[in-house]
Amino acid sequence: MNVKEYISSGIIESYVLGLATEAERQEFETNCVQYLEIAEARNAFELALEEQLLKESAAPPSVLKDRIQDKITASVSDTNTTEFEEDKTPVRSLGVWRWVAAASLILLAASVYWAITSNNRYQQLRAENSELQDSLQKTKDEIASAQGTSSQPRSDFKMASITAGSDASVSIYWDTTSKDVYLMIKNMPQPPTDKQYQLWALLPEEGAPPIDLGMIELKQQRLLYRMKNVQNAKAFAITLEPKGGSSKPTTEPMVSSQPVNL
Amino acid sequence: MASLRNKDEEAFGYLYENYSGALYGVVKQIIGDLELSNDVLQETFVNIWRRMDSYDETKGRLFTWMLNIARNAAIDKTRSKGFQQSQRQMPLDGEFIQPSVRPDIDDFGLKKLIFKLKDEQRLLIDLSYFQGFTHEQIATALHIPLGTVKTRIRSALTQLRALMQS
Repeated sequence: MNVKEYISSGIIESYVLGLATEAERQEFETNCVQYLEIAEARNAFELALEEQLLKESAAPPSVLKDRIQDKITASVSDTNTTEFEEDKTPVRSLGVWRWVAAASLILLAASVYWAITSNNRYQQLRAENSELQDSLQKTKDEIASAQGTSSQPRSDFKMASITAGSDASVSIYWDTTSKDVYLMIKNMPQPPTDKQYQLWALLPEEGAPPIDLGMIELKQQRLLYRMKNVQNAKAFAITLEPKGGSSKPTTEPMVSSQPVNL
Repeated sequence: MASLRNKDEEAFGYLYENYSGALYGVVKQIIGDLELSNDVLQETFVNIWRRMDSYDETKGRLFTWMLNIARNAAIDKTRSKGFQQSQRQMPLDGEFIQPSVRPDIDDFGLKKLIFKLKDEQRLLIDLSYFQGFTHEQIATALHIPLGTVKTRIRSALTQLRALMQS
């Protein structure tokens, strides 16, 4: 194994941050035992991460410490109390009839308990079963859609950045294979309440009207918007439009991108 | 028993004094909501306490172990029904993806470093680390082959490390 290559492959960061798969984790742990160099590199990254996060730490509200402390000691003292009582359970002698009465009461209680728990268990299993069905269906769908995409040529993302001073900055990802358009917002000023931003695709053909790619609802603080698909585009632009959008731009673009390299 | 409890309190006090702030910072970046972040921090410390025996120092530092407990607790919280309703969060294959990025907390912590990454790298780290989506889910949602997702996340992580050490 090329240890240097392995160390710089990103596996260390992936492992430490909890992003590695189970197989990668196991392999990495074996490698750490076998190659001191890898374990040392892991430790160095862990230290750097710890230092970074400690430097940037944010003190939680001061009441929280006592709340957590109580929670932890409560769970500890609960166990202690129970053990204590169990040790001291008194043994009394009872007449035979008392035993019978006690036994039948216990039996009754046990059968009621059994009836309730088996019913609960049944409900729980039913719920679990339908959850599993759902997740199975979801997985099937995912597999189907993954198979659909894998038969296509490799996706090719075109990226266009739009910036206007420090006020507005967005990125557009256009997958030229699936034609999906994603919009990622870094910074956009809130529009007036009766206005909304609208995204447009500008076509390569001279004089062709821009194509509406949808409205951007800033209120929801989304990071990534999936916009309408577009077959062809040479650039993208955003205009400020009356709420609900327009069929063609009514204002000069607030921002527009450089031509996309096709 | 009293001395055991005192010792526990001392140990808890030590861990809390030294690490709660760093863990809280990460939790807040994942959750966004302050009240829920408090709950998650509480769950984190209760879990740390309960699972202390399973910490294996040959596999990494104590802080790393605690950090992963905190991240898992936070991501679990974002997957809970109540949270999704309150945040109107949608699954990755839905119409949109809710950011774990919040304007008021973007300016510190790992997020600050992440803003220095290239857009695509930033997106991938956000989806995988802060929102906890699997590589498979990301590949499906963005229509990128799984192998490519993995390579790009790895390279984004090494880039992040370089930023951290610069």
